[in-house]
Amino acid sequence: MHGVQGGDRAAVRTEDVWKVFEHEGIEVEAVRGVDLKIDPGEFVVLAGPSGSGKTTLLNLIGGLTRPTRGQVWVAGRELTAMSEKELARLRLEQVGFVFQAYNLLPVLTALENAEFSMLLRGLDEEERRRRVEKLFARMGIAGLETRRPGKLSGGQQQRVAIARAVVGEPALVLADEPTANVDSVTSEGLIDLMAELNRELGITFVFATHDTRLMRRARRLIKLVDGAVAADEAREPVGPGNGMGGPEAAAEPGASPGEE
Amino acid sequence: MSDRLRLLLRLAVRNIRTQTRRSILTGLAMVVGLGLLVMSRSMAEGGHEDWIEKGVRMGSGHVTLQAPGFAARRTLDYRLARDDLEAVRMALGDSSVAPAVHGYAVRLELAGLASSANAAVPVAIVAVEPERERRFSELPAKLVEGRYLVAEDGLHAFVGQQLLERLDLDVGSRLVLTAQDAEGEIAAQLVRVAGVFRSGVPETDQGVVHIPLSTARGWLRVEGSATSVAILLANSRAVGPATRRLERVLADRADRVAVLDWKEAMPALHAAVRLDDFADWVFHAITLAIVALAIVNTILMSVLHRTREFGVTRALGMSRADTGTQVMLEGLVLTSVSGLIGIGVGLGLTWLLFRNGLDFTFLFEQELEMAGVVFDPVIYPRFHVSQILWSLGFVFVIGVLSSLYPAYRATRIEVAEAMKFE
Repeated sequence: MHGVQGGDRAAVRTEDVWKVFEHEGIEVEAVRGVDLKIDPGEFVVLAGPSGSGKTTLLNLIGGLTRPTRGQVWVAGRELTAMSEKELARLRLEQVGFVFQAYNLLPVLTALENAEFSMLLRGLDEEERRRRVEKLFARMGIAGLETRRPGKLSGGQQQRVAIARAVVGEPALVLADEPTANVDSVTSEGLIDLMAELNRELGITFVFATHDTRLMRRARRLIKLVDGAVAADEAREPVGPGNGMGGPEAAAEPGASPGEE
Repeated sequence: MSDRLRLLLRLAVRNIRTQTRRSILTGLAMVVGLGLLVMSRSMAEGGHEDWIEKGVRMGSGHVTLQAPGFAARRTLDYRLARDDLEAVRMALGDSSVAPAVHGYAVRLELAGLASSANAAVPVAIVAVEPERERRFSELPAKLVEGRYLVAEDGLHAFVGQQLLERLDLDVGSRLVLTAQDAEGEIAAQLVRVAGVFRSGVPETDQGVVHIPLSTARGWLRVEGSATSVAILLANSRAVGPATRRLERVLADRADRVAVLDWKEAMPALHAAVRLDDFADWVFHAITLAIVALAIVNTILMSVLHRTREFGVTRALGMSRADTGTQVMLEGLVLTSVSGLIGIGVGLGLTWLLFRNGLDFTFLFEQELEMAGVVFDPVIYPRFHVSQILWSLGFVFVIGVLSSLYPAYRATRIEVAEAMKFE
């Protein structure tokens, strides 16, 4: 088990984090006392059934919502004391997001979507274009720069979304069901891609997913049940991106595609 | 422009273009609103200017020079002496004043009584220099019978039609004018009716008599004097500068020569113009408020439909201020583009009306008079660059005001909640 012990060099650290929602007068504990430490460069999957708190925990780590109790650190910075403006700045500079529904901005081209965060950070145009073109070429979407999201397939859109998340070289990428809306072949390709980026660029990836294919490739699997960590296991990843294989990952309990 | 602002502007413009139908419909509201504003302001300006022009020609001019106190008392005790009049003539010839002056009329005005064998009627006696008055005043052109006064006239009068009827006289008949002379004595003068006018203003037609200035001076023992000098300028916009220049040139006679603009000299006309102007602005404000509400609705709907998108951009690191700026820019771009088109449409409509004006004859069965001036039922627009500046100001204000609430809503979006929005 990974605990909360460790230095401030952790990519992510949470300490007794709770998130309680109130719905029609009833309090719902979405996240209950989670203690985590994720080191830089980890490839971590948060798994669990629907309602287990995966997405909420991801949102807490990304500073998209504030914990009811407890503390969250990202790249050594404590989030709960930050203002909205500081949180936005942290997300801009340290965190990349990949969403289930791609969430590309429909009025921007693929290139403009990919360079969105860099533009907000004030990187000059030449540098932005250089990074995006290099990444697009590597991801197999070169030539699609001027297309708008509506003219791209689901897989292509998710590649652009991944490019948008990693092109600014953040410390952490948070991906919520990134393979849920694509077919299995595309899904494998996307997982390969993210595993490569994790390995080669050292970017920390934290996924929330049901997808067993993604779970099999995780080097650490954190199982959530009813908002609490039920298991936290280091694993030997399986798959072409890692050049490894193993039967245990395929037999991962409690998670299968489309279970949501 | 920074890359960040350029990005926000790009998002704003493309979002407007993406929602083509909604943007066009909203833009049309703005086009119609601003088009109407520009056209109706031009018509109001034209109508008011015509109104003022008629008023000042029938009355005291754009600017009037008179002895302090005359406006309130209207007696010969308050008159401009010969040397004051000479100073006034020199002032009107001054290089700083002369270019603005289109004409002037020297007058001796006082209250009196007009009587015949059949009746006596209180009147305003206006003694004039006939040739100068003919160029200045509209009254000579309102002749219905006989002729207007000429320089050679002595004991002649030009009277209103209703006054003539009340006195039961005709052209060529004689009437007696009675007034208080410079010494305070009651003095009478027999004059013959040379001509009759009908101005359409009952007070004028019932109670104004023009006689030659030379006759009045002898009759009332005020040789070389006058009670006022009425000055005509190019238009009412020239009044302020001309008044200031005259005050400067006549500064050493400020205790003997007062400079009054038409608003002070004709407060009833000024009040009527202001009232009409106020009503116009109320109408404009209602029109623009409706347009602004249409834009608020469009932008707010756009914001609400794009809740998820705003959540995404915030998740990607856009600040609340950026989100607010993006929405404000959408409002400003939409209002600016449609507003500029609206101003163009308004100018086009105004241009079309320059030649023939807008004919309101069908609204009036008879002459319509207010504050001593008869309306011309055909109104011609008048255009000033300031109208464009005002309109651009309105465009900006509407853009800002109509975007404020949607922008506020957009900045209040909770990111995590917004991501669930379908």
